Amino acid sequence: MSTTLLEEVPPPRLSPVPGVKDGLQRRWARPGGRAYAILRWTGATIFAVIVIGLVVSLMASASQAFGHSGLSFLWSGTYNATKDIYPTGIYIIGTLITTAVAIVLAVPIGVGTAAFLSELAPKWLAGPLSVLIDLIAAVPSIVVGLWGLLVLSPVFARHVEPFLKKIPVLEWFFHGPAYGPSMLLAGTVLAVMILPTIVALSRTALASVASEDREAARALGATRWQVVRTAVVPGARTGIEAAVILAMGRALGETIAVSLVIGNNNALPHSLLAPGATLGSAIINNFGEANPGLDKSSVIGLVVVLLAITALVNIGGQLLLRRRLRAVGATT
Amino acid sequence: MSLTVLPAGSGDFTDAIGTRRELVRESARRSLARRRIAGRIAIALCMVAVAISLAPLVALVAYTTSRGIRVLSWSFLTHVPTPPGIPGGGISSAIVGSVIIVGLAAVIAVPVGTMCALFLVERRGRLAGAIRFGADVLTGVPSIALGIFAYAVLIGPGSLIGHFSGLAGSFALAVLMLPIVIRASEAAMRSVPRDLWEAGLALGVRRSRVVRSVVLRGALPGLVTGNLLAVARAVGETAPLFVTVLGASLLVTNPLQPMGALSLTIFNNANQALPAAQQLAWGTAFVLLVLVLVLSVVARLVSARLNRQARR
Repeated sequence: MSTTLLEEVPPPRLSPVPGVKDGLQRRWARPGGRAYAILRWTGATIFAVIVIGLVVSLMASASQAFGHSGLSFLWSGTYNATKDIYPTGIYIIGTLITTAVAIVLAVPIGVGTAAFLSELAPKWLAGPLSVLIDLIAAVPSIVVGLWGLLVLSPVFARHVEPFLKKIPVLEWFFHGPAYGPSMLLAGTVLAVMILPTIVALSRTALASVASEDREAARALGATRWQVVRTAVVPGARTGIEAAVILAMGRALGETIAVSLVIGNNNALPHSLLAPGATLGSAIINNFGEANPGLDKSSVIGLVVVLLAITALVNIGGQLLLRRRLRAVGATT
Repeated sequence: MSLTVLPAGSGDFTDAIGTRRELVRESARRSLARRRIAGRIAIALCMVAVAISLAPLVALVAYTTSRGIRVLSWSFLTHVPTPPGIPGGGISSAIVGSVIIVGLAAVIAVPVGTMCALFLVERRGRLAGAIRFGADVLTGVPSIALGIFAYAVLIGPGSLIGHFSGLAGSFALAVLMLPIVIRASEAAMRSVPRDLWEAGLALGVRRSRVVRSVVLRGALPGLVTGNLLAVARAVGETAPLFVTVLGASLLVTNPLQPMGALSLTIFNNANQALPAAQQLAWGTAFVLLVLVLVLSVVARLVSARLNRQARR
């Protein structure tokens, strides 16, 4: 016992002025400290190399395609398999439409669910329901895609899509034959996938609103719902916005499930019931068969476009989240 | 400026106040009733939202279970797939492939992630902030991009391995797991009270020793939870494996060769019209679902225990 203690006693302080902490001495002078510092820096360096390598290697692999068609690669609308040209513009539009459908469906339901779980439900109900939704968030996207393709798609073709075509004003969005696989189905499947994300993040945002705000509203005579509407939701607004943006990032970048249910059509969709394609589904469908050279490079070009869009959205979401954390006063 | 002063005790005066009070009371009553009804409607709508958000998710899990459980048997888990048209066959190659690929990914991601988390815990300032931000943004990068990254570095022309392989898939999944491991480990280490660090350092113990026996030990449940959640996320991924591992129906244990994987088996069979292929897909989906849910539940139990200990 005492021997080990003796071994651990540090060498005498080398700093000439008492009380001055010599950083070099503290961190580097002792052998244990040096190995430990090298370990930490190795971890950080590997991570930095991976992040930079991700961007650089994708750009390098796509450079041939961008060199071939220049920036017009970004809004090309024609598909020409023999010339290795992909309609990036159509894919971008498809990605935006499916994501928009998912957001329109998932945000009101998700925020409503979060408000109920965080503010209105009794504790015995809110706890288990929250755990259930968190667990379901772990369901792999391929399983959601399989369910969308084999279960939801026939239901959409037989019941949902014919029904939507009968609604007076909305029918403008829903003309054309009802196949099942469509932009609408892809958006719905995406909505199912992003719902748990929206619920979990919004719930955290709502729960972090100061209880003084709730009590103040209550003291002014607000009903329980008015407390939620006038005090809690406005207080959590930035957090809810961040939740929506991060969920949007997930919907934009989803590939496998979408490629199963969207119908994979390289034409501009004329209706939400038409089959289409997104950046993610196009990458999955074309990467395997793409020939080495320009063809492969073009598909990797699609990946670069997708990466750029999702990175922008995610950076926006993270900045919002950080602003909120600073406002709440958390440290990390 | 003239004030009409009413004589004290006059009937008009008390009546005026009384009527006004009545009016105020009446309007308050009406307002409260209106607000209560509005509140009830809004709360009912929120309950409907809860029902709508639970319905598809519960339906999905229930349907996969009911279809998958019919397919599941001992031979389904222990046999390799048969060619189309021949009955029998199972997913042993996919199970073995998934375990090896994800295992190797964890072997890469857990040490690197933990080291990186130590860096974040020990250092403040711009560099640490940048790495933290990078990890948060990387969490949202589409997994297909990570797969293509692994393809470009390890498989494509002029790269390290040169052909499709399980190891390339492990690399892609490791990149996917890294930000999750880093952020969860950092949070776990920060939850170890600062006093314990300082107590260790005040004893004159080396910093590395304090980290090993105080910080890492104290943060252990949190580290386990974070790593399990990262593994659960990686097991279910399909897109990065699709472009790196390729899939194999024979039992392959060499990670330098193309391998099978659970998610790839589902993807490759989902689109086929053959009932046998769809059955195989549902059975595999059920196995994958159980695996992921078990990992998530265990992760949650570990962190729940941690919370109980912290409160004590």
